[in-house]
Amino acid sequence: MDLDLSEEQEAIRDMTHSLLEEYSSVEAVRIAEDDPKGVPEALWKQLSEGGLVGVLIPEEFGGGGLGMVEAALIYEEIGRAMAPTPHFVSGVMSASVMLEAGSEAQKLAWLPKIASGEAVLTPAWIEPERGYGEVGVQLEAKREGDDFVLSGTKLSVNYAGVAERLLVLARSEDGVEILLVDPHAEGVRLTHYLSQSGEPHYKVDFDGVRVPTSDRVGEAGNGWATWDTVMHRGIVLLAAQAIGGAARCLEETVEYAKVRVQFDKPLGAFQALAHYMADASTHIDGGRVLVHEAAWNAAEGRSIARFAPMAKLFACNTYQQTTKVCAQIWGGVAFTIEYDVQMFFRRAKELQLSWWDTPYLEELIAADVLD
Amino acid sequence: MNFDFTPEEQTFADEVEAWLVENHDPVVMDHHRENFSQLSDTPERRAFMKKLAAKGWLGMSWPKEYGGQEIEGVYEFILTEALARHAAPQIGKGVGIIGKTLIRHGSDKLKQEFLPKILSAEVEFAVGYSEPQAGSDAANMQLKADKVEGGWNLNGQKMWTTSAHFAEWYWVGARTDPDKSKHNGISLFLIPMDHPGLEVQSLPTIGKDTTNQVFFEDVFVPDDYLVGVRGRGFQYIAEALDLERFTMFTLSPITNRTQVLVDYAKTSKRDGKPVRENPDTRRLIANIVTDTAVSKALSTRFLCAARGGGKPPTIPSSQYKLFTTSLSQRVCDEALDISGAAGTIREGQELAPLLGRFEGAYRATMNETVGGGSSEIQKNIIARRHLGLPKNF
Repeated sequence: MDLDLSEEQEAIRDMTHSLLEEYSSVEAVRIAEDDPKGVPEALWKQLSEGGLVGVLIPEEFGGGGLGMVEAALIYEEIGRAMAPTPHFVSGVMSASVMLEAGSEAQKLAWLPKIASGEAVLTPAWIEPERGYGEVGVQLEAKREGDDFVLSGTKLSVNYAGVAERLLVLARSEDGVEILLVDPHAEGVRLTHYLSQSGEPHYKVDFDGVRVPTSDRVGEAGNGWATWDTVMHRGIVLLAAQAIGGAARCLEETVEYAKVRVQFDKPLGAFQALAHYMADASTHIDGGRVLVHEAAWNAAEGRSIARFAPMAKLFACNTYQQTTKVCAQIWGGVAFTIEYDVQMFFRRAKELQLSWWDTPYLEELIAADVLD
Repeated sequence: MNFDFTPEEQTFADEVEAWLVENHDPVVMDHHRENFSQLSDTPERRAFMKKLAAKGWLGMSWPKEYGGQEIEGVYEFILTEALARHAAPQIGKGVGIIGKTLIRHGSDKLKQEFLPKILSAEVEFAVGYSEPQAGSDAANMQLKADKVEGGWNLNGQKMWTTSAHFAEWYWVGARTDPDKSKHNGISLFLIPMDHPGLEVQSLPTIGKDTTNQVFFEDVFVPDDYLVGVRGRGFQYIAEALDLERFTMFTLSPITNRTQVLVDYAKTSKRDGKPVRENPDTRRLIANIVTDTAVSKALSTRFLCAARGGGKPPTIPSSQYKLFTTSLSQRVCDEALDISGAAGTIREGQELAPLLGRFEGAYRATMNETVGGGSSEIQKNIIARRHLGLPKNF
């Protein structure tokens, strides 16, 4: 039993850290907020050229061919830096869907482009007034000859403004399908809206959009099984991201608590505040090991049916709670745009609500334990 | 990174498991005692400890010259958790804080007198640190040790000495140097528990075991039963506490308890409906299972930090203790919530769900967030020594 990183893993973490320090500074993150594209070009170029976008893509498809532990280390850094990037939607989720279910031709067509950053793909999954489960996918994919005809609306389509393809989860007579759709195709309408974090979200309307059946990824009706598998891996990385965000928010708050004086004492000398920080550090340090355990199990090819939801549930709760108590310590300034703590505060809540929220994760765990 | 035991460690874990199954004794291994089986004084428990000693499982991490195996602490962890999983007694204070302190700081005489007896489970200890005015402020102990010809004369009182009513020896902190600062005026002594002038008074608790107050009236201790260097007692205590924190609060009883709760939810009904279908129950159980995994992660962290025999991993141990004792109580609390009105039935009666396992545990674990350094003390340690925040009390 050991928690040590290999030299290679340390190098990946350190390289990601310094890259993000330079290209995802707080100033750069602030500029990207609410922007319809939402990703600084220089950052995306560096992530791509540094081989970080293709971390999970095998070398034969132009990726780095690394594993889940390395990816988790990268995601902790992404969380620390609040990096505004379509890395997750493209390099993790879309690439993993392709790897899991794509035909050889689809893999060859898209994986090298995803890895090089040349193309961004993003899933279109969530629907208005529907939940996170399989039943939530109701966008109609009606079979007409060799085409599917799509009608309906998707929300929370992140980075659609820079995407070359959408991976649309839709319902055919066979069940859930995952379809490659050009966002510029006829009948597709993208509408940018503002999200809590400032990351670009899109509403995507499909009005009789024709998609050839050859653009289905995977077997007929097998889309949800693919998606569920890929999500389990994806949420481990989001859990790592949450731990990274929480850790940095706490570090900055601890430093502030050492210098900000009230009642002639630094804030950190008040137990009411010091204990908030001690609790947060315990949750962050424990959560990090849980995330590593989940990632390691995935890398070893073991089941993460329970580990993955546990990791995201705990890490996102920790991130949200940490930013909440940090805001208490900063006091009034936490409420202002000028100070950074609000940036973590908004991101923590968005991450908790996104990509399987607390009730959905709790039910996944409960079902695994009780049913 | 590796979350598995090595093949050698796994072989040992399997050996311990098989041995505990083979040596199952319902008197010694009672799950209703949660993780306090070592506090029950029965001939069966003493016999069980001798069997453990005969296996060579006491003092495995001690140096070879003192009868140990110089084996990595992870083996003691595996043993401790297996004992706890079977509700068997823990390896005890003798092997832990007392033996290890004697090895590091004790005289040859004390080593020769006590270490062999500890390894063969022939001696039971009680530990006396707390006093009426020295609770969380442990360094405030006032038990007086006056220098007299050939030794020390002790007068005063100790509190919360759990094993005083059956132990043979007392490991006691007393103030030898009242003129020095409070952390530098304490020395440790070893005293026979049946010494004239020592009076043990039972202090019943809401758990299954009594604790005690111990009164000292002119208790004479010869010079050579002062442990190590005069005035260094508090440093020895602090050093050893890091070990105690981990071994006192094993995770297995919580994992057991969580499993019992899960089985209960799976098999019982309320108003004709399976309990497991209740959405609130599902939510509570999902979070308990998750937090149990976090406790295990924190224990892994502690274990990995302790590898290679460096400094005691104070911070991971405080974080583990803080998180795990609170979870331990929450499991009992929420299990009672899930039991509803039947949760009020006192343990041990057929009428109670699971024979009142959770009702009993709810009371028994109240002390976990207090004993061995309260949650608030752990938070102070983490705030100051991990986060570098200023002294706050």
